[in-house]
Amino acid sequence: MNVEIEFDSSWQDDFLHKIDHDGPWGNWELFKLAIDIENHLVVPEFEGLQAPKHLPNLTPLPHQLETAKQVVENMNGKAILADEVGLGKTIEAGLILKEYMIRGLVKKVLILVPASLVTQWAQELNSKFYIPAVTQRKSYVWEQCDVVVSSIDTAKRNPHREIIYKQDYDLIIIDEAHKLKNNKTKNYEFVQNLKKKFCLLLTATPIQNRIEEIFNLVSLLKPGHLGNETVFYEKYKRDSRSLNDDQHLKELVNKVMIRNRRADTGIEWTKRHVETIPIEFTKSERDLYDSILELKNEGDWVQTSSFSVMTLQREACSSREAVFYTLKNMLLKKENPTQAYQEQINFLIKKVETVEQNSKAVKALELIQKINDKVIIFTEYRATQLYLQWYLKQHGISSVPFRGGFKRGKKDWMRELFQKHAQVLIATEAGGEGINLQFCNHIINFDLPWNPMRLEQRIGRIHRLGQEKDVMIYNFAIKNTVEEHILKLLYEKIDLFEKVIGELDDILTKLEFGNIEDHIMDIFGDSCSEGEMRIKMENLSSMIEFAQNMKKGESHAAAGNS
Amino acid sequence: MQQQEIHKFLLNYFMANECPIVTNHPGYLDVQLTIEMDKELMNRPFYWHYLEKTGGIPNPMRLTLITNQKAAPENLRGETIHFGSPRLHQVFESTKNLARYIRLYENHGNSAVQTPLLPWLCMNVKISYQCDRKRDIFKSIGLQLINGKMVEDFHNYLLKISLTPKIPDYSFTLSPLVKPKSGMIRIENYLKSVIENDDHTWADEAKIRWEKDLELLNHFYEDIEDENESYETEKQALKDQYEPRIHISFINGGLFYLTEKAI
Repeated sequence: MNVEIEFDSSWQDDFLHKIDHDGPWGNWELFKLAIDIENHLVVPEFEGLQAPKHLPNLTPLPHQLETAKQVVENMNGKAILADEVGLGKTIEAGLILKEYMIRGLVKKVLILVPASLVTQWAQELNSKFYIPAVTQRKSYVWEQCDVVVSSIDTAKRNPHREIIYKQDYDLIIIDEAHKLKNNKTKNYEFVQNLKKKFCLLLTATPIQNRIEEIFNLVSLLKPGHLGNETVFYEKYKRDSRSLNDDQHLKELVNKVMIRNRRADTGIEWTKRHVETIPIEFTKSERDLYDSILELKNEGDWVQTSSFSVMTLQREACSSREAVFYTLKNMLLKKENPTQAYQEQINFLIKKVETVEQNSKAVKALELIQKINDKVIIFTEYRATQLYLQWYLKQHGISSVPFRGGFKRGKKDWMRELFQKHAQVLIATEAGGEGINLQFCNHIINFDLPWNPMRLEQRIGRIHRLGQEKDVMIYNFAIKNTVEEHILKLLYEKIDLFEKVIGELDDILTKLEFGNIEDHIMDIFGDSCSEGEMRIKMENLSSMIEFAQNMKKGESHAAAGNS
Repeated sequence: MQQQEIHKFLLNYFMANECPIVTNHPGYLDVQLTIEMDKELMNRPFYWHYLEKTGGIPNPMRLTLITNQKAAPENLRGETIHFGSPRLHQVFESTKNLARYIRLYENHGNSAVQTPLLPWLCMNVKISYQCDRKRDIFKSIGLQLINGKMVEDFHNYLLKISLTPKIPDYSFTLSPLVKPKSGMIRIENYLKSVIENDDHTWADEAKIRWEKDLELLNHFYEDIEDENESYETEKQALKDQYEPRIHISFINGGLFYLTEKAI
């Protein structure tokens, strides 16, 4: 045997000193207890998981336990956890971390997550796993605390960066690791230079798409696993999609990546029911909308980008308050506005003032009263949010607001208020992320985001593990407006709402045409005629459909492969 | 550790540390801490410092530890204790610290004749085999300091013997022929020889894993000439991850004076 044996002899002098001075000696009962404890803490086998028996209040799902076991036993503690959304990657990571801590293999841990999730991670590790994780707020935390949660954007900047590089981390966990797919970025470079003894990369977005991204991510985790850059790109073309064709490469990737699919976990998911509710504008609302639409044809406005017009149009579908707010800002922020510009806006403001009711709000109220249970209303605009809160209050319905900008404590407080006291939660877009509301099963989409992913996130707040009822989704769309186009041409065509959680991101990453929102903006902003718009929209939805079908074919082919 | 075992353990711990048990209910323990135990467990040095400076009346805290939530009264306020909870691990640490070294005599009950007591050195250790995985072995070794006899599983022998911290009447101790210091070295050498005769495929396998990853790493950096810093970091990380190591850590130990027939 050629393994060095370290014998801890620091205690010897201490012991001899006690012998020489005849004590003081310990208590026999405690002496026996200490040995009892050791016998309980001893890890008798290399294999198996110790963590679950230390976590009596956590019942991990079978696939989560299996994943943790795989990572510890077969992947040597370096893995990409790429489960589909909602299967509990955080739990898996927590289990692995706990296992290593119990075995005494890991002490110093760095956890890098998106800024909005820092507190949540720390809380979950503390409450579910009894791991004393600390959020990084002061720079001494890096050195003094063993388990630190921080955002990557903070960590990569000096002075933090330098301090972090000096730490000797045993385990590094990175959430949303797909953001590291580009090896030219600062974030990538920062993570690459970290010492990674054990390392977990978490991502919900499958990276089976571009070969370059896979190479970058795997090389971050385990440099050389896919060969070096030159050799790799000689074998596989940079932009190719050949990963799925190449069995060998697929096997290699599977050695460092675990991806559990919803279908394989055997978890029963509740259904989604979608109801589209078409709404008619009142005459004055229609008048406002049409006046905005006319702006498109006016010279001055084209220069201020079609963006503003588009925004106003969408806002008009939401509430007059939202329109007013934007108009006011346009007046204030424009440098040296021309006379015509000012007149134009004041003209619109006049129109806003003539609107006497919000047809959507009327409908929402009716619906909420009918549902007679907890409801979440999503809107894109803060002005609408405020208005709705006021409007519902007028009719005796209690509601709480929710925004992404709220501090963690306030978010939790609002969630609590909603759960215990209020009937309605009104959230703006940014509020969609990082909060779980599975005690509620009704969503009203007061207006629709243009990015299907964002819509998926909204629904994901309530349709997740722990939701016991079927989820009801009500989509409001004003007839004969941009909104109806989006709904009809995009969302309904791709069956977005009926999809299972996480399926959408699979599909969208298949499409390599960039940001979907930009495309939609382009379609609505630059199309000269209704006809052109329709054709472009159909094009887009066909592409999504295509990707969808591609995926179906693939999942047949990949059946039986993990 | 089951919940009942934890309950029993906590009870033993506080009793051994002379804390009055206010309530011992199947679902929870209510304990009045002594000043020493408050200082040991409650982590409030400023309070004690302030009290000592001002000469106030010490008011050690009372702890309510819930060991079985179902059996405990519903609105009871207290800390829920289970195997993973930080409080329990604090108590574990404290137990180990408070009873690291011990000296005991066999309570033989011979009142007629003078009984000689033989000195034994006891060492309880944990051996850890570590690479990217880990396992532990608990060892309790006893060494008689007169004739050098070595006994494994010594602690289990001790559990069957009645022991007392004061030398019993009609007893005398024999002076060790083996000095405690060299006794320790003997035990250390013995442990090492036991380890050397053990099966170490785990270490060989770890080395194979290590070499494999190292090969990959070398290959990855083949073409890159500058930027050697991250290569070195990665290399060190692999060493830390895989390098097989064996560690013997000391749990506790002591001197035991036992009759000739005891072991």
